[in-house]
Amino acid sequence: MADVSGPPPIQVRALRKVFQQAATGSAIVAIDRLDLRIEPKEVIAIVGQTGCGKSTFFDLMIGLETPTEGSITIGGKTPYGDFDHFRGQIATVFQQDRLLAWRSALDNAKLPLELLGLSEGQQRERALGWLKRLGLERFAGAYPHELSGGMRQRVAIARAFAVQPTILLADEAFGHLDEVTAAELRSTFLDLACECGSTAILITHQLEEAIAVGNRIVVLGKSASLLADIRVADWTSAEYPVLREAIQATLQGNTADARLARTSRG
Amino acid sequence: MSLEVHREPLSFAGMRRETIITIVVLAVLWQTLSFLSPALGIPPFAFPSFARIGASLLTIAPLDVAVTLARVLAALAVSFVLGLGGAMVMYRSQSVEHHLRPLIRLLMAVPVISWILFAVLWFRGVEFRIGFVLVVVCAPVFLVDTLDAMRGVPRELRQMMRSFRPTSLQFFRKLMLPAIVPGMLTSWKINLSLAIRVVTIAELVGAVTGIGHQLAVAQELFSVADVFAWTLVLVVLLFLLEALLTRVEHRALRWRT
Repeated sequence: MADVSGPPPIQVRALRKVFQQAATGSAIVAIDRLDLRIEPKEVIAIVGQTGCGKSTFFDLMIGLETPTEGSITIGGKTPYGDFDHFRGQIATVFQQDRLLAWRSALDNAKLPLELLGLSEGQQRERALGWLKRLGLERFAGAYPHELSGGMRQRVAIARAFAVQPTILLADEAFGHLDEVTAAELRSTFLDLACECGSTAILITHQLEEAIAVGNRIVVLGKSASLLADIRVADWTSAEYPVLREAIQATLQGNTADARLARTSRG
Repeated sequence: MSLEVHREPLSFAGMRRETIITIVVLAVLWQTLSFLSPALGIPPFAFPSFARIGASLLTIAPLDVAVTLARVLAALAVSFVLGLGGAMVMYRSQSVEHHLRPLIRLLMAVPVISWILFAVLWFRGVEFRIGFVLVVVCAPVFLVDTLDAMRGVPRELRQMMRSFRPTSLQFFRKLMLPAIVPGMLTSWKINLSLAIRVVTIAELVGAVTGIGHQLAVAQELFSVADVFAWTLVLVVLLFLLEALLTRVEHRALRWRT
């Protein structure tokens, strides 16, 4: 639940995550010394190619994994070490809807509220409210298998917003939907995030999505190295095709494209 | 859990035509054999006619059926609780699992008849002996099935759940337990038929009530009609219980269709 002061800043310092491969024992560097600061209420898109360590970064943000070196701190606390502190603070929309098949849409949306220990009435009211906002009130009693992919993802979004988190994470949350549905859900997601005053971090591999979404685009290369940090406001919409190409070139060359230099903060 | 489980309701009203034909053919064959047995030189008690079996069925005391049923259900309930508890502990601690796994495998490898002999040698009370045999046979099956079902809960769902930061208890109650319900129901079906078959053998030795004991008596009296009648009761009992479980399954897994 957002406190009055708003979401805390997120500080990533020299973050490093190394996995030991079970079969060979060899080390894989998923993230190699990433530095990043995310301001409160910022809406930021993280782009990178598959396998660049984006999802590992998310697991670290959520606190499912612990950093090998360096740190992620959110308002001075670490998501892994202070796991329980962030209960009700962080909510994630995943790539697949990840709904519980045995729960109706309403019961899925109120799952995190049950975990927070809200009263039954509050749970219902809040979850139902969010389902309504996402146009699903008529399907509150439906089981996931009775819903389309887009509707299921809406339920997943309702579930995340029901928490009223200070930090919203979306991991390629709209990537597998058709373009019309994806665009619609994306804008709903952003409106809601803005309205709630949450910091929103979206991972995507689609550049259109990144440009449509962010105040800021962070481009990650191999081992999550920071290639570019772009303020979208510095570009007029007429320049978006150039921006898109520049990001594309950056990803392909694994080094910042010259065209990005004028606005790059990083 | 397979989604394409072939589920045929075990109710008698809903029997297929083929099933009825098979039963009728078997019955006719039996009746013919009982009719012809004197001419074929088969002792008359080997294939009693349906009239005699019917007469035997009428002598069956409901008490024995109730006693056997109570033993089965009580032992299954205890086995289920032990299996579930054991599986939860083993799921949470790898070290416990490594210690217990060989023990479970050992338990499951011991033949039922050995357990019965051990029970007779180790314990005094009849009920305790029967209970011990049933639990020692069924609990490991519940445990292994539960553990497998827990391991089968997708990592994606576990991560989703953890991302909302539940307590350990919430994690089990809201995710793991509901997720393993289909696996548990299958396990109950398997254990039910296992327990019904084991209980009769256990009752053969030393019990003075129950279907197994009545079977032993029938055998001593060379009464095939009685054996047949008791067997029929056992099979029908099992079918009824399975039908009941299937109904429970349909209710509990409404969300799946």
